[in-house]
Amino acid sequence: MKKNLPWLLWLWISAVIVGAFYYAPLAKGFIGKSSRILFFHVPMAWVSFTAFIAAAVWSVLYLTRGRQERHDRAAAVAIQLGLLFGVLATVTGALWARIMWGAYWNWDPRQTSLLISLLFYAAYLALRGAVDDPEKQGRLAASYALLGLVVTPFLFWIMPRLTYTLHPEPVVNAEGKVDMESRMVQVLIASTFAFTVLFFWMHNLQCRLQALVARREEGRE
Amino acid sequence: MFAKEWRCELRTKVALNTLGLFAVTTLVVASVSLGPLGVSKAQGSALLPVLLWLILLFSVAAGLPRAFVQEEESQTATALRLSATPSALFCGKLLYSLTLVVALEALITPIYVTIMNLEVKSPGLLVASLAAGGYGLAAGSTLVAAIIAQARSKGTLFSVLSFPILLPLLILVIELTRNAVVGDPAGMALAQLLLYDASVSIFGLMLFPVVWNP
Repeated sequence: MKKNLPWLLWLWISAVIVGAFYYAPLAKGFIGKSSRILFFHVPMAWVSFTAFIAAAVWSVLYLTRGRQERHDRAAAVAIQLGLLFGVLATVTGALWARIMWGAYWNWDPRQTSLLISLLFYAAYLALRGAVDDPEKQGRLAASYALLGLVVTPFLFWIMPRLTYTLHPEPVVNAEGKVDMESRMVQVLIASTFAFTVLFFWMHNLQCRLQALVARREEGRE
Repeated sequence: MFAKEWRCELRTKVALNTLGLFAVTTLVVASVSLGPLGVSKAQGSALLPVLLWLILLFSVAAGLPRAFVQEEESQTATALRLSATPSALFCGKLLYSLTLVVALEALITPIYVTIMNLEVKSPGLLVASLAAGGYGLAAGSTLVAAIIAQARSKGTLFSVLSFPILLPLLILVIELTRNAVVGDPAGMALAQLLLYDASVSIFGLMLFPVVWNP
């Protein structure tokens, strides 16, 4: 199973791409075929958010479970990947905004909060870069990640509701209903699942790689 | 702790001078370019609260990180680690930063309001927004200052690390100050601002021992 995972993932994502373009219908009220970007944009934003929560969990584990290096490494890699997926979500969102709203960027509350979280991820990585001692690096980075956790609710729930937004309703809207054609929902769930697995697969690869690099460094010394 | 901070500060007056001078300089720059005649009243109520908070934010970024950087530089941090509990230290530093920020606001805001010819419809709300916003600035920057004091390239790192944390605060407080200027009710922004203050203090208090003790 573990050996075949990349192939299964490849098949699954291919199916999602085909489904997004040929199986799912177009959403009403969207210009042209622009609604199809939903199947990629939403999972990317979701993964970026998941990555941050995962990083916070690993940071807590690092601080409470005797400062194991693997937890610190896992948190750092999750933030790196979160930044990557966050940038992708921003870019796909901006492309869509160009078609629907006429401009790539217009400081919609959701764009603002995503941008601030990207700044946060980048600041976290800058902090790691500025500390040499691994123990100190893990300790400071984990605290900073958890401080970021304070800001998250303000970014994702409070600020977007402060001013009106043009952003389409979140997939599950305020009344807890899914307001979408059922084939679209199927593709979206499949795609979100695919992206989440992709994230954890990439995360696993990168953590193992970094562990090997760390071990080689130790061997040299 | 708080008294010790002020004794040290009054000995050198570095933070007081940088904070005050920085704020006055930016204030002068802003008022020279905009002046009372530079902006119309309608533009002013939208623009001037933003400028006020930018001046405060950058002055804070110029002066507050010293709270911990100084301890590491003069190598008194270890003595401090031995002599005070982390929570007492955090509260002392926070209180010290808070008094600095409040002093700064008390100095800057009246000058700013007069120079810019800003008409504030509800002064009470302005004071409330200054108090809640100032506390948020002090609380958010205290923990970040403790983090950067142990890293390299401290000055630049402070801005990089603190801005994502302080941005939601700034957006809320600017909204609130704008409401005070036009005379709108405080609305949800004040409650959210207080929520921000409370959560940053609680997390700061919880995380500080981790940051502080190697």
